[in-house]
Amino acid sequence: MIARPSVRTASKALRCLQCGQRRGYAAAASGFNYQTGDSAGIKYASRDVPGQMTTLALVAKAGTRYEFLPGLAEGLEKFAFRNTERRSALRIVRETELLGSEVYATHSRETLSLNAKFLRKDLPYFMELLSEVAGKTQYLPYIFEEEVFGHIKFAQKNFLANPEALALDSAHGVAFHRGLGSSIHPAASGPTSKYLDHATISAYASTAYAKSNIAVVANGADNAEVGKWVGEFFGDYQVSPVQGAPQLSSSQSKYYGGEERIAHAGGNAIVLGFSGSSSATGGFYKPEVAVLAALLGGQSSIKWSSGFSLLSKAGLNYPSASIKTKSHIYSDAGLLTVTITGGAKDVAGVAFDAVKTLNAIAAGEFSNEDFKKAVAYAKFAELEYGESQSAGVQLTGSGLVQGGKPYQIEETSSAIGGVTSEKLKQAAKSILEHKASVSAVGDLHLLPFAEELGLKV
Amino acid sequence: MSQPSLTNFIVKRPWLKAWMRPLAGWYADLSGYRKLGLRADDLLHEENETVGLALKRLSPKESYDRVFRMRRAFQLSLSHQLLPPHEQTKPSEDIPYLSPIIREIEAEINERENLDSLVIQKK
Repeated sequence: MIARPSVRTASKALRCLQCGQRRGYAAAASGFNYQTGDSAGIKYASRDVPGQMTTLALVAKAGTRYEFLPGLAEGLEKFAFRNTERRSALRIVRETELLGSEVYATHSRETLSLNAKFLRKDLPYFMELLSEVAGKTQYLPYIFEEEVFGHIKFAQKNFLANPEALALDSAHGVAFHRGLGSSIHPAASGPTSKYLDHATISAYASTAYAKSNIAVVANGADNAEVGKWVGEFFGDYQVSPVQGAPQLSSSQSKYYGGEERIAHAGGNAIVLGFSGSSSATGGFYKPEVAVLAALLGGQSSIKWSSGFSLLSKAGLNYPSASIKTKSHIYSDAGLLTVTITGGAKDVAGVAFDAVKTLNAIAAGEFSNEDFKKAVAYAKFAELEYGESQSAGVQLTGSGLVQGGKPYQIEETSSAIGGVTSEKLKQAAKSILEHKASVSAVGDLHLLPFAEELGLKV
Repeated sequence: MSQPSLTNFIVKRPWLKAWMRPLAGWYADLSGYRKLGLRADDLLHEENETVGLALKRLSPKESYDRVFRMRRAFQLSLSHQLLPPHEQTKPSEDIPYLSPIIREIEAEINERENLDSLVIQKK
């Protein structure tokens, strides 16, 4: 009896709260695509998604592809949000906590990014923070010894314990050798401390965070406002290159292909890699690869069903195997991978079926219905991925620093829509004509060689 | 854990500084550690976490030199000898190499305590 009115008022209050917020959502969206600009010599892009949240990222063209010594990208990532000239790491943590936000750094093969997610009104604070972290971090020996190196070690161990990640990394290695193929984490058994210390990381930072090498991307912020704050906080942004630091550059990626086998006690994984498509902003864009990835598939997007994809149907006979197909896109090349993990026998079985399936697609033996579903799914996956805030920011940023053009999802998805089944057949054929990049990690006694699978290496 | 001192008080007053300077030099010389080849920062208590951490942050060269000075001083003390005058620490060499790091660590600890006892005022 007593509870009832209070519940009612509470729900009324909640409704009121929602209606207050809903007004924000009802405002006209300024478009799905990013608007770009240039302020104080820094490229920026923003998309004003209505809502309370903003995702901000500073994307630098400094992934593992560009590092001149192994592990520099990883080291620089771990140095982010540590002591700067103006404030300590602890103060950064406490301040961001008080504002209710999240800051993190990530690196991929091509980019290194400093990210922040926060409430819309805090944009100036985080713009200042990112410019400070990029431009004014102190690369001191004791911070490297006490904090950064330990984290690098943990990342290496984490990586080493994961057969799937290991296989994917090794497939990239055999596919692209240097550049794109360099390992995403420095090898745990390699001479890490020979190359990594505060001085080399500082030298890397001085070229990685140079003005021409970075872009600021915001999701959920007004374009004019982003431009204004970029001008304000990056106005005196100056990163002077350390003497002797090489310029970050990477030549056009070349696809090699080959095979690598690594014994591992912690699980089994096979990666079948094929030459794929670059990003739409790069010069080697092939939308049919995304459709091929969707058609091969392996994981169902609906419950209680294996889904339409050919590999998930094949996988029904191998209960312990988990199959994933992904088109990894980079600025000037790509790798289409089928990743199979699980029990060694099942992994081997699926690998044989996957190659059979690919041959069947190349021969045009797939139903028109499956093809339509694959196109629809590829389109859906593209838009869904691009709509997610953090992924969209990453894609846009890397497009901006690499080609000066943001990643436009709508264009990409319409390109996918234009793929014909004949094009798909051609893509599968040309993939099989080139060498494959096969990597097997785990029980090597049971896992097949590429030769046995019927792939050229 | 730097030594307690009146330095700040004196440095703020130029007349006092000018007056104390020769006195300080005379005192440091008289206290004798320079005759054993030590520096003032070698005499700091190191049995606490702050100084322990500061010692770890020394560069390898500085750390090696510190151990060398201490072993030499220990030998001299055992054999009841002083270093020959040209090997003794000169006033120009008696520089603080450890106390700046200690002050830095103390500032870190201080900042942490301040942030832990932070009171937030909502506008």
